[in-house]
Amino acid sequence: MAERTPVAERKTLDAALPRSDYKPTAVMPDVKVVKIGGQSILDRGRAALFPILDEIVEARKLGIQVVLLAGGGTRARHIYSIASELEMPTGVVATLGKYIPMQNARMLQMLLAKHGGLYILPDDFEKLPLYLQMGCIPVMSGMPPFGYWEKREEGSRIPPHRTDAGVFLSAEFLGSRRAIFIKDEEGLFTDDPKKNPAATHIPRITAKELTERGLPDVIVERVVVEYLPRAQWCKELQIVNGLKPGQVLAALKGEDVGTIISA
Amino acid sequence: MSDLVGGDGRTHIPSRLMRESLQNKKVLSGTDSDRDLQIFPDVSLVSIGGQSIFDRGKAAILPLVDELVQIKADKALKMVIGVGGGTRVRHTIAIAEDLGLPVGGMAQLVGAMEELNAILLNTLLAPHGSMPMQRDHFWDLPLYFDAGITPIAISVPPFHFWEPPPEEGHLPMHGSDFGLFQLADVLGMKQVIFVKDEDGLYDKDPKRHKDAKKFGKITLAELTKQMPAENILDPELFHTWQTAKNLKRIVIINGLERGQLTRALRGEDVGTVITKEDARG
Repeated sequence: MAERTPVAERKTLDAALPRSDYKPTAVMPDVKVVKIGGQSILDRGRAALFPILDEIVEARKLGIQVVLLAGGGTRARHIYSIASELEMPTGVVATLGKYIPMQNARMLQMLLAKHGGLYILPDDFEKLPLYLQMGCIPVMSGMPPFGYWEKREEGSRIPPHRTDAGVFLSAEFLGSRRAIFIKDEEGLFTDDPKKNPAATHIPRITAKELTERGLPDVIVERVVVEYLPRAQWCKELQIVNGLKPGQVLAALKGEDVGTIISA
Repeated sequence: MSDLVGGDGRTHIPSRLMRESLQNKKVLSGTDSDRDLQIFPDVSLVSIGGQSIFDRGKAAILPLVDELVQIKADKALKMVIGVGGGTRVRHTIAIAEDLGLPVGGMAQLVGAMEELNAILLNTLLAPHGSMPMQRDHFWDLPLYFDAGITPIAISVPPFHFWEPPPEEGHLPMHGSDFGLFQLADVLGMKQVIFVKDEDGLYDKDPKRHKDAKKFGKITLAELTKQMPAENILDPELFHTWQTAKNLKRIVIINGLERGQLTRALRGEDVGTVITKEDARG
């Protein structure tokens, strides 16, 4: 790894030097940025998805502003697998990875259309104030738009920034304190609850503690855990179980359900 | 052809990654190999500096355009051009910072300043055959080269609102140097030539230090051990190059000296030549 130049000496964007009195402005701090998992929810179809959408619509009727981002799932794994065999560069793999969350976002839009579901593109953040004031539920792909510019990660061909990263980075840009991830587990456990019934639930953990555990597997993308401590706004990730009735609505109301990973 | 797999409440497609967590390091390593497909190995990417060339105005721009026109006569020299934004980028950042705009907001704004230089360049070069290339329309490149049209690429990477929080401070880490590097790497290009206003990369800023020493030909590994703090290129570029697989050669030349770009495009060692010997630096 290259030594990092200290920031005072570093040239960022043609020698602009950061000022010390930076006071960040939150763009839309009341917005709840919510991910609907690909493999964990969307690939389960109607049985898992419909009750979740009911709770999201209910939250919207309560005046809670929600932006939905879609994950990928098994189709993404399929194309990643074939592209890897063909030794495609990570940037090409990341570009291929854009299409499945986009399909999923469009599916969500069709289902939510009668409740104000609106398909938006990455650059449509600038129109969110209008959409949200009108009571709409904007839906977009969770994949960040990096595409061919996605950096390779050592020991992998899979893009490190996928839909979890897109959700976190969206929340961070919008100035939202907490990004919500709807998955099929209640967050973190001491062990895999599907294999070990004695595993206990972890309601709260810091990104540092999570990193120090050095787990071979984590529930959210590693880059998100890496970015969390240096975020200006999005200081918490909340992982909730969409299969458990009431948990999504509780999370949207700001309740501490599931697992909260904090900066 | 393969059937769909159910049984756990989800519908899967059989693949090596089916049901797997893409956070699992073992699973991830199964997707990797020592090489990447190289898409355009005979193409050079030429990056023309914003502050170093364009901000100098006519005196620096016109001779360079003249040299580019001459270079275009040799159809064997395939190139894509990118441009930096220069002082207007710094000004944008200064104002955005004062306003407290988030890092993603700054990243969204700066690309427009680079685009102005791309339009300037294209306006001068178009009579001789050039075209701005849409963001990622790389698959048009063979057509451009066949027709003798020089594409001018967008240099700022499309991180936009999703620019990750920087390691330190609050400014975007991914500017045009990184963007053009990444473009050349993902397409498996031959080299990136950075056209600046110095004869290469020095151990300190030659504009402020008379005793600054220029690097001639050096490997990335060697340079990393003595990376200059005042650097003509963005540190993120070098950081990313460490793990990148494709790109083997970066050249930094002086665009105010006629002929240096032509020689660099022909593969000669001019200015500072940084090479990466093996795939993993």
